[in-house]
Amino acid sequence: MHESHHVVAPSYLDMTAQEITNDVLERHHSPGNQFWTVAMILGGLFVVGLVGLFMLVSDGFDNKSNWGYYAATFAYVFSLSQTAVLVSVALRMAKSHWRRPLARISEMFAIVGVYSFAMLVPLLWVLPSIEGRRSLWFEWPGNTPHIWDTMALGSLVICGLAILYFASLPDLVTDKEVSGKSDEDVSYHPLIPHWFGTPKHWQLQKIVLGLLGGFYFLMLIIVHMLISVDFAMALIPGWKDAIFPAFHAINGIQASIALIIVTMFILRSTSSLGKYLELEQFWALSKILLATCLLWFYFWWSSFFTYWYGRMPAEIGVLKYIMFETYSTVFLLAFTMCFVIPFLILVVNVVRKTIWGPTLAATVILIGTFFNQVRYYVAGFSVEDHTLHVLENLPDFTSPGPIDFMVIVGGISGAVLTYMLGTRLFPIISIWEIKEGLMLQRVRKFMKRDIRVLAKPE
Amino acid sequence: MARKSILGLFDNADSAADATDVLLEAGATQDDFDVLTGSPYPEGAFGEKDPVHHIYVFPIIGALMGLTMALVLTAGTQVAYPMVTGGKPILAFPAMTIICYEGTLLGAVLFTIIGIIFESRLPRLRLDPYDARINEGYIGLLVTTEEEKLDDMERALIRGSALEVVHERGRALRG
Amino acid sequence: MQERVRISDSQVNTDLTSSIFESSKLYWILVGFLALVVLCGFTAAGYMFNRGLGVTGLNRPVMWGFFITNFVFWIGISHAGVMLSAILRLVQAEWRRPATRAAEVLTVFSLMTAMTMPLIHAGRPWRVAYWVFPYDWARGIYPNVRSALVWDPSAVFTYLTSSILFVYIALIPDFAVLRDRTTGVPHIIYSILSLGWRGSVRQWKLQIIAGILLSAIILPIFVSVHSIVSWDFGTAMSVEAWHSTVFAPYFVIGAVHSGVSAVVTVMIILRWMFHWENYIRREHMDSLAKLLIVVATAWLFFFALEFFFGLYALEGPEVALRELQVFEAPWKWYFLTFLITSYLIPVPMWLIPSVRRNLWLMAFTTILVNVGMWFERFIIIVPGLMRKQAFVFTWGGYTPSIVEVTIITATFAMVSMLVLLFAKVVPLIPIGDAKEGMILHDEIKIGKVMVPAVMREE
Repeated sequence: MHESHHVVAPSYLDMTAQEITNDVLERHHSPGNQFWTVAMILGGLFVVGLVGLFMLVSDGFDNKSNWGYYAATFAYVFSLSQTAVLVSVALRMAKSHWRRPLARISEMFAIVGVYSFAMLVPLLWVLPSIEGRRSLWFEWPGNTPHIWDTMALGSLVICGLAILYFASLPDLVTDKEVSGKSDEDVSYHPLIPHWFGTPKHWQLQKIVLGLLGGFYFLMLIIVHMLISVDFAMALIPGWKDAIFPAFHAINGIQASIALIIVTMFILRSTSSLGKYLELEQFWALSKILLATCLLWFYFWWSSFFTYWYGRMPAEIGVLKYIMFETYSTVFLLAFTMCFVIPFLILVVNVVRKTIWGPTLAATVILIGTFFNQVRYYVAGFSVEDHTLHVLENLPDFTSPGPIDFMVIVGGISGAVLTYMLGTRLFPIISIWEIKEGLMLQRVRKFMKRDIRVLAKPE
Repeated sequence: MARKSILGLFDNADSAADATDVLLEAGATQDDFDVLTGSPYPEGAFGEKDPVHHIYVFPIIGALMGLTMALVLTAGTQVAYPMVTGGKPILAFPAMTIICYEGTLLGAVLFTIIGIIFESRLPRLRLDPYDARINEGYIGLLVTTEEEKLDDMERALIRGSALEVVHERGRALRG
Repeated sequence: MQERVRISDSQVNTDLTSSIFESSKLYWILVGFLALVVLCGFTAAGYMFNRGLGVTGLNRPVMWGFFITNFVFWIGISHAGVMLSAILRLVQAEWRRPATRAAEVLTVFSLMTAMTMPLIHAGRPWRVAYWVFPYDWARGIYPNVRSALVWDPSAVFTYLTSSILFVYIALIPDFAVLRDRTTGVPHIIYSILSLGWRGSVRQWKLQIIAGILLSAIILPIFVSVHSIVSWDFGTAMSVEAWHSTVFAPYFVIGAVHSGVSAVVTVMIILRWMFHWENYIRREHMDSLAKLLIVVATAWLFFFALEFFFGLYALEGPEVALRELQVFEAPWKWYFLTFLITSYLIPVPMWLIPSVRRNLWLMAFTTILVNVGMWFERFIIIVPGLMRKQAFVFTWGGYTPSIVEVTIITATFAMVSMLVLLFAKVVPLIPIGDAKEGMILHDEIKIGKVMVPAVMREE
């Protein structure tokens, strides 16, 4: 007798809507002792980071090279957290069903946006004025680029929070109802309007999320451009690289997908939410991750190749500085960990279609991305004279000192802690989207096999 | 013992799928029948055996051969005329990368095509029973078995609601 | 709203082979007219070969004009094939089905046309053969593998070969349909071409794998082709405006933009000409327009990067070029036309759902896009050469001659004619794909409505 063809359908299709609600909210209300232990450890590391920051501030803002690793950490946190929100936005636009369990995981990173905005503040005092040097802003008067970068990042953070809020609204109301609290008891009651889940409410939510999503997408790319150019490219003499903002954005997209994969893996391993985060989510994200690895290489190659071929002194100076001499080790690590290793892992079908494969590749990418940020931001902040046209004398490699390690560890720990605390406000799995998935997916018999049916409402 | 083929024609997919059970009950194995359709159905829809293939070997071999040829071509050309152009070294690897990249992919594509045709067992020169109505929506169950079992299989196909059993190449549909 | 109609396999065969077995008078009038225009183009080219390149408007410093612009344009159009066929196949987008064959065929013919452009541009094209035959030792002429002009043929040849083979493999089942529906000489030819196809489980499985595998291999080729064409400009040091790292992805995304728009135009024409209303439906136009919004916006971002980072260093020739492009007539009118037609008119229109489903407006906007994209290549190439050097006395102009205009017009006629003639030989909508789409189509009852759905094997 033939083997029947098993269809891989989400486990939650076997559950009812009520079971899903209870399951997710139970985890939301009782995350477990492990959660608080990790939070305390992260809190301690964050305090160490604050001490490091205090020591940097007390040294003053004039010596830019002290702030290189801080800037790299800020760029790292910003790139990962803010771009992670885009993953949910983009997948919602594509109307894929597999994105449902990871939508809220992705949107939750908007909270980390507030943290990254706070990290920007000290850098505004460090960033030199644009007078006498190349800049995206040419001769724009006033506190340029400080005020514009602040406004841009601020707008992005607010937009991200708005997306998180509107996407979570039905679940916040569900939580309020299920927990049996009256209107007067719920502490965040002022934030929840009268949501009744009428067709009009759902339609309005869809329109709002669509508009916010589109705006977020455009703003994110612009903010990537501003941060990467103002805090890195414009600080290195002779570096005129039109593709760098796009490269910075694609690195952010790659790293944020990696971050979501790792977050899913952690949730699977430490909670009962594994039934929502299954092979399908890892496999689907791994394909996109592979594509971003290839794009990373493509954008890097476009930049490198144009410079290598032209052999202009200014360009060769930049290549030597951030790739082949001063920061060569860092570049090699970044290249290997952002492209070579993840590509070799993900290109094999069998490995890509596992949970451990994409997670391993994602972990490597997260580390590699940090090295990638180091080679721009530390390099940029280490240049003494930004008004030069060509980098003739390459600055020495700025190796991290104890304060830098404190800032890096504390900075990243603070971001993770912010995310974890955010999960206390919003359920980590999007209940309403899972329930919508229940409605729009079936497994049925087709002749002699089971097959999955996915509804595609207009 | 000589193996011969007959083709059962069905006008809908469900009855063809049910007929495979009848065939199996009549003593046929999954290796004895194949399903002919005018369009692809989901795998396993007819309860047929999953075909085993080794297609993925072909692009790998092709890519390696393409890469080798491109390397020889580019390196050989540059070494044959060792002129420095644009300040670049004689063996300018970034420049060679471009042509090697194209050569690798061309090799992969060419060998993939060969592999697809080979693994599909094409070109098919054997004149099995076939009917042009298969491309018009009919489903064909091609049963290949020992000659003495052929009658049993034909009866099984008729029991399975086959509209017609074709013993040789069927008629062509006039457009 | 889904407008699908249930059609029998036999009817599908009849409908989709109607272009082969039936011909309207209009069809032959159109082909005849196009053939006449092509003949004029051949005549103009012959005249030019006889009289020399002096009959064109080419001269120092503008050595590349209409021919190279057209070359880049047709390479761009060729990118539609892989975009729609390969990428949409890999993401399992159901709405790709009627577009894939037309896109792939357009790719093949536009590539062939693109390849004729540099040959014509050489002035004495037979001499191009000395470059590679005999290889390496005749007359001291040898292929310089470090030159972008050598990478071009390798890339275009690879892409052309891959596309032709991709089209052929996908055509095998359709050749079988034609074999079964013809007699006499056509029957023999289609029998040979179909290689004895039976439609067995093995053959269909390999067909599907072929589609996915070839899509995955052709995708990197697709990215590389226009990147390499862009490096004809990007690696050139003499024209500072061209020496930009963003050229590769900028050209690729521009190619996708113009290519997909061209496919939409072709599909609307095919639907009208062969009465394929049941196969090329308004929902397909809707989905294609949404894709175009994303692609066009990404293209605009890369254009902005190219433009602003061109000015970033405020180098003399670059500033002079931008002044020419934006402020001096007639270039400012070309620049304005290009911006308006490539993005400012089409994209806001595509945001309106009723426009996306209106075939006249879709045809209008997509033709407009290609007008704009032709201008885009023109104002990159010619003004760049006009302001190549810093010395003002070397600045020159360019006015295309009637010979160039005729040849360019003939290329449009040639591609159109070849597509129409090809429709007489093979079905331009894949028959097997159309039937598969009908098999996989399903519906889910939710409350009182039947929501369209699709079956997924895994």
